[in-house]
Amino acid sequence: MRRVVVTGMGMVTPLGVGVEPTWASVCAGESAIKPIDRFNPSGLPVRFAAQTAPPPVQAEDGGDLKLRLAITALREALAMSGPVGGDRTGVCMGSEIGRPPLPEVARRMAEGSTPTQAEISRMDPAAPTRAIAALTGATGPTSTVSTACTSSSQAVGEGYLRIRRGDVDVMVVGGVDVLVDAIMITGFAKLGALSERNDSPAEASRPFDLDRDGFVLGEGAGILIIEDRDHALARGANILAEVSGYGCSCNAYRITDSPPDGRGAYQAMEGALRDAGLEPKDIGYINAHGTSTPMNDPSEARGIQRTFCEPVPVSSTKSSMGHLVAACGAVEAILCVLAIRDGQLPPTINLNKPDPKCALDHVANSPREVSIVHAMTNAFGFGGSNGSLVLSHHA
Amino acid sequence: MRENHTIVVTGVGFCTALGNEPGAAMRRGESAVVEQEDLLRLPHNCAARVAKVDLRPWLKRRKDRKLMARPAQLALDAAGHALTAWEGPTDNIGLYLGVGREPGDDGESEPALVAAQVERKLDEEAVAGRCRDLYPPLLPLKTLPNMALAHISIHLDVRGENGAWSGGSVSGLTALRAGMWSIREGRSPAALVVAADSWVSVGAVRDLLRMAEGQSISSPGEAGVAILIESAESARIRGAPVLATLDTERLQAAALSPGAHFSALGQCHAADALMSVALQIGTGPVDGWVEAHESEQPAVGVRVEISGDNACYSRASKGGPNG
Repeated sequence: MRRVVVTGMGMVTPLGVGVEPTWASVCAGESAIKPIDRFNPSGLPVRFAAQTAPPPVQAEDGGDLKLRLAITALREALAMSGPVGGDRTGVCMGSEIGRPPLPEVARRMAEGSTPTQAEISRMDPAAPTRAIAALTGATGPTSTVSTACTSSSQAVGEGYLRIRRGDVDVMVVGGVDVLVDAIMITGFAKLGALSERNDSPAEASRPFDLDRDGFVLGEGAGILIIEDRDHALARGANILAEVSGYGCSCNAYRITDSPPDGRGAYQAMEGALRDAGLEPKDIGYINAHGTSTPMNDPSEARGIQRTFCEPVPVSSTKSSMGHLVAACGAVEAILCVLAIRDGQLPPTINLNKPDPKCALDHVANSPREVSIVHAMTNAFGFGGSNGSLVLSHHA
Repeated sequence: MRENHTIVVTGVGFCTALGNEPGAAMRRGESAVVEQEDLLRLPHNCAARVAKVDLRPWLKRRKDRKLMARPAQLALDAAGHALTAWEGPTDNIGLYLGVGREPGDDGESEPALVAAQVERKLDEEAVAGRCRDLYPPLLPLKTLPNMALAHISIHLDVRGENGAWSGGSVSGLTALRAGMWSIREGRSPAALVVAADSWVSVGAVRDLLRMAEGQSISSPGEAGVAILIESAESARIRGAPVLATLDTERLQAAALSPGAHFSALGQCHAADALMSVALQIGTGPVDGWVEAHESEQPAVGVRVEISGDNACYSRASKGGPNG
C-alpha cells in the first residue's frame, strides 16, 4: 500500500502569518483573542474574536480576505515542498460559503442591486479550491469538502485516501474560513454557542475548564502538501511527517449538541487507529477539537477515555487561537507535525480548574517536552460530522 | 474485477418536481417546468418547484423541519426512500452528500440588515442591537452546507463514514465515487449517496441570470436524489435486488448527458449528475458513462451498467423504487 507523507505546510492564523510564528506563539501560551477592531462591535453580545492580521494583498485574491489567507498559506507550503502541479496533482480544500462584507450586502439590499458575477463566484465554497488549482497548475482531481468544523480534517483525509489508492501522486489539502462579522457573531451568540467574556477576551477560550462558557470565533487558513512517499523520495523532497490514519463518523444525534457518551468521537478515533494499524498506546499526543463549549468538551473527553484506556496527553490549541471552523482541522494537523518534530506538546491555556467530566491527561497552561512518534488530531463539526487524523514521525 | 470491488445499486429515492417517481412521469411526457408568479418580473420566469415535500415518514421530531433549509428537506426525503431498501443496522453505513448553492439564507437576514441602515449605510452596531430580534436565531445552522447530511444522519440513524462536497454538478459524482471507494476499501458496508440543490427562489434565479451575463439560462429546478450502494457480495448475501452496477472506469461505455432531463425537471445543478445516474436505473438495459464538469475543474465520471435482467427496477425491487 502506498504511504503518504507531508512535504509542505503553510498557515495564517490569528497568532501569526506562517507556520513558525504560529507555533512559537502557541507553545508560548499566547492568546490571539482580542476585542474586534475590524468593525464597530459595540452593539454585539460578543465583542471579541480571534482575527488574523491580514497578510499582504495577493495579486490573485481579488480583494477577498478568504482567498488572501488561502493563497498566503499555499505560498508558504509550496516554498517548503517545492513546486507541484500537473495531472498527477489534485486539490481538496475544506471551505464554507464566502461572505461578502456586510456593508456591501446591506448597500445592495438598499439599492435593490444584485451581486456581480465575480462576487457570486467568490461566494462559492469551491472558490479557494479553484484558485489553488489555478495557482499550482494542478489538473488532477479537485473537490471541496463542506462539513463545517470538520471540513479541512476531511479534506486532508480525502487527499490521503486518493494518494493511497493511486488516483494521484500529490494532493494540496487544507482549509480556510473567515467568519468574523456582525451577522455570524449575532447568530452564534443567539444559539448560545459563543463565550461572552467581554471583559477578559484572552481568557474566553478555556477548553476542558470548569468555567468555560462557549467558543470564540476565529479565522485562518492551513495548507499541507501531501504526496506518495516514493514520489517524494524520488524528487528529493524534505519529508516532514507521515499521514498514517484517517477515520470519520456521524453522530446522528442533534444539530448543535454532541452525544454525552462520545460515541461519534470514539468511532472516528477508533477508525483512524484501525486505518493506521496502531494501538491506542502508540499515540503520544492528541490535539483535541476542544471548542470550550459546555457540551463538546465532555463528549470528546468521554470519546477519548473510551478509545484510550491509558492516559494520553491532550491539549486544545483553540484556547490560544479560537475556533478556525473550516480551517481548524488542517491547522491543528500541522501543529501535530510540529509537536512530533520538536518533541514539544502545545498547551491548553486558561485551564485552571479542569472539569471533572473532562478527566484527561491535560497539557495545561505550559508546553510539555516529550518525544512522540504518533499524534492524533480531532475535528468535530456542527451537525455531527467527526474526523480524526493520525500523523506520524517519518521513518 | 473482484466481487467486493463490484459496486451495485440496491435502492433509489427521488424528491423532484415530478414526484417520487420522476422517470415514469418523464416517460409519460410530463414536465414540471412552469411559469412562476413570483418570477414574472425577471427575464426568466419559469422554474420547476417541488409542490410538497412530505417528511413525515422520516422525521423523529416534527418540529425539526423548521431547522431545515430547502435542500436539506429534498435530500432527507430522497434518502429516506432510498434507505427503505436496506434492512440491516445503519450504524456503519456511509453517508456521502453533494450540495450546491449555500442553502437557507434566501432573504432571511434581510429584515435585520435593512432595518440596521442609517442614511443608506449599514450601522453594524444596530445589527445586533435594536435589530437583533429581526434575525432568525437558527440561521447559522441552516446556512451550513453540511446540514442536509446532519439531518439525514439524525433522522435515518446513519452513522458511518461521511462527507459533504460543494461544487456544483461535480459534487454529486464526487460523493458517489467516495462512497464507492469506501465500500471497496472496506470502510463502509454500504453507502447512502445523496445530492440535493434548489435554485428556484427569486434570489437564486437573480444570481443565475447575473452569472449568465445576459445570456439565456435553462429553467432552474430543485431536487433531491439518493442511491443506496453496496458491494455485489453484500447484495447477494442479503438477497437484495440489484438495480445497476457502477464502476469508476470508463471502458467502452457510451456517454450519457447529465442535462438530458433538464427540460422536464429544470436544472438542479448539484443534483443533476447523480440524477442522471439514478434515472438510468429503470430505463435500461444500458451501459453508459455519466460525467459532470464545472468551470476550471476536471470532469468527474461514473459508469452505469444495467443489464436486461434489471432494466426495469419496478420489476427488480419489491413494490417499486421507493420500496
